[in-house]
Amino acid sequence: MNQFSLNFDRENYHEKPKNDIFADAITRTQQPIVTGTSVLAFKYKDGIMLAADTLASYGSLARFTNIQRLYPVGDFTIIAASGDISDFQYVQHLLDTVMVEEYYTNDGHVLRTQNIYEYLSRVMYGRRSRFNPLWNSYVVGGYNDGEKFLGYVDLLGTTYQSSTIATGFGGYLAQPILRKAVEGREDTLTETEAIEIMNSCMKVLYYRDARSFNKFQRAKITAEGVEISGPYKAETQWDFAEGLRGYGP
Amino acid sequence: MNPVTLYNNDIFTNVPVEAPVERNFYPYADNGGTSLGIAGADFCLMASDTRKSSGYSIHSRYSPKAFKLTEKAVLATNGFAADGLALTKRLGQKLEWYKHAHDKEMSTPALAQMLANTLYYKRFFPYYTFNLLGGIDEQGRGVLYSFDPVGSMGTEVCRAGGSSAALIQPFLDNQVALKNQQGVQQTPLSLEAAIRITKDSFTSATERDIYTGDYLEIFIIRQEGTTIERIDLKKD
Amino acid sequence: MFLTRSEYDRGVNTFSPEGRLFQVEYAIEAIKLGSTAVGIQTSHGVVLAVEKRVTSPLLVSSSIEKIMEIDSHLGCAMSGLTADSRTMIDHARIEAQNHRFTYNEKIKVESVTQAVCDLALRFGESAHGEESIMSRPFGVALLIAGIDEKGPQLYHADPSGTFMQYDAKAIGSGSEGAQTELNEEYHKSLSLQEAETLSLKVLKQVMEEKLNNTNVQLAAVTEEHGFRIYSEEELQVVIDRL
Repeated sequence: MNQFSLNFDRENYHEKPKNDIFADAITRTQQPIVTGTSVLAFKYKDGIMLAADTLASYGSLARFTNIQRLYPVGDFTIIAASGDISDFQYVQHLLDTVMVEEYYTNDGHVLRTQNIYEYLSRVMYGRRSRFNPLWNSYVVGGYNDGEKFLGYVDLLGTTYQSSTIATGFGGYLAQPILRKAVEGREDTLTETEAIEIMNSCMKVLYYRDARSFNKFQRAKITAEGVEISGPYKAETQWDFAEGLRGYGP
Repeated sequence: MNPVTLYNNDIFTNVPVEAPVERNFYPYADNGGTSLGIAGADFCLMASDTRKSSGYSIHSRYSPKAFKLTEKAVLATNGFAADGLALTKRLGQKLEWYKHAHDKEMSTPALAQMLANTLYYKRFFPYYTFNLLGGIDEQGRGVLYSFDPVGSMGTEVCRAGGSSAALIQPFLDNQVALKNQQGVQQTPLSLEAAIRITKDSFTSATERDIYTGDYLEIFIIRQEGTTIERIDLKKD
Repeated sequence: MFLTRSEYDRGVNTFSPEGRLFQVEYAIEAIKLGSTAVGIQTSHGVVLAVEKRVTSPLLVSSSIEKIMEIDSHLGCAMSGLTADSRTMIDHARIEAQNHRFTYNEKIKVESVTQAVCDLALRFGESAHGEESIMSRPFGVALLIAGIDEKGPQLYHADPSGTFMQYDAKAIGSGSEGAQTELNEEYHKSLSLQEAETLSLKVLKQVMEEKLNNTNVQLAAVTEEHGFRIYSEEELQVVIDRL
């Protein structure tokens, strides 16, 4: 007799369907749900510059328009993510925990960018090896004792370091521009030039990446530490659409 | 994991099978790149390009995949770079353990056997890497071993691995092992000749293979020690 | 020294206030009751010789085995509670084969000795409360002989898990006299043949019975033949040289 909802037999209420062999199945991230698009980053004279827009998409729906995808870890490191936002939030929490543990150990030892990058890489590779990946591509940038660091790691545990890095669509649209502008000039590009390059790449991405958004943040890591600024807007021109023939009305 | 009830009749209750797990995720990638090894009488040459790619994208122009494991052995890994790196780290740890347990550096043939076992132990979730291990043995002779991802090991004189293996191997067979040549006499290959052949192999592979290029690293392992030479390849 | 029992005799792993583990020390005493075993290292190889106590004329002397093979390049002689050595030699053989399997090379003499000694202190209760394999220490000492890249070597391993390398070593009931003799007679340029003779000569001096080709066992590890136990005929040849 379970006519009163308050008297629902809790065990029966939660009983799984009989005969369902999938009832106990483990479900894992098999596809990203709420996602962020490209991240761009490169080295310049004073350190590392990164940028990412503030959109979190739900498939083709622009679901959240004010999400920060650049995240400082410690005083001289920033991680930036594309891919699943909830996995990114888990990683933020994980790295915070590590940093707190390191801090209260109180032995004067601080994790450098290289250490954070290696740790994150092992987490990513470990998760993919357990068939339970964190569905992201990460860019890790940092500046320690005059040394610039820029690294990439993704859901497969693939890692590399390079003077320019672009994830997602940025890999096709912005990376060639960045390489042309940056390679060989890592130690001479001024901050003004770097901002100029970054802005133009973000504009290209906004024009051509349908999952991008015209509101982005920039971050720099220099000897002074991390600094995340923005949001910024790219100056766009859409008048040419008027001249298009054959598609519109 | 709990045993799952398959069918609720007398015959098929509580069959102890694991709950099924759906898997759409493919845990491997091909990061391209080419490696080559030549074993001489008293030297071994190991060479790899440093490009790391995925599909049509070049990830990094300088991401080495050949590593000096001991004073007398170099490992070149091709295929899935993350596995290659994880494998290299594990071998490094095992080498350190061996040094503590036996108070000596592991010899190259011992390292080759250990690598074969390490790969085979992951037979059912392999390291997707095609490895070449080159160095000198305890008598100072050049030795070269090749491996497939699940631990089959072969002893070689010359071997190319990776995305340009099929382009380079016939060339090595002809120029190093002197295959299909008439009226040639087998003379020991000089180091200079080996370097020349290596450079030609890689410049040619760079022309035809989009996954090979950027830089070439040549390790030369001899009794006196290991040297490394870095050479430019085309970056297109 | 051991006349009075004390409360520290109860737990096998309990230190006495003087910092001693009595059970381990008693185990070492047990070796001194065993038959004498001798090992001599030369630059050509290592010789092992043991006394077999043939306590009855009806006893088949060849059934007493106190020298055993660990691997083709490793042998071992024992004294004490020889049954205990089965665990140790089993372990040594596994370690040796495992090393061949993993590294395709012969294990070093020191490494196999270390592996055997790792077993020695695994008696009593373990810290995590799981079942321990042994209730008491081993009552046997081993002379481990072998050849590796460092040349011929002889090691002595005792129930405390300590091992030491020797040029020549005697263990067992006659060890005191035998060791004195070895100390006097040993020199670095000893040939293998001289070592064979010396080992039997030393045994002969400390044995109660008259030495013959059935109440001693002789073995050698050499570069040419690896580990090899001498047949009765080969043994007779050495005895005739005495």
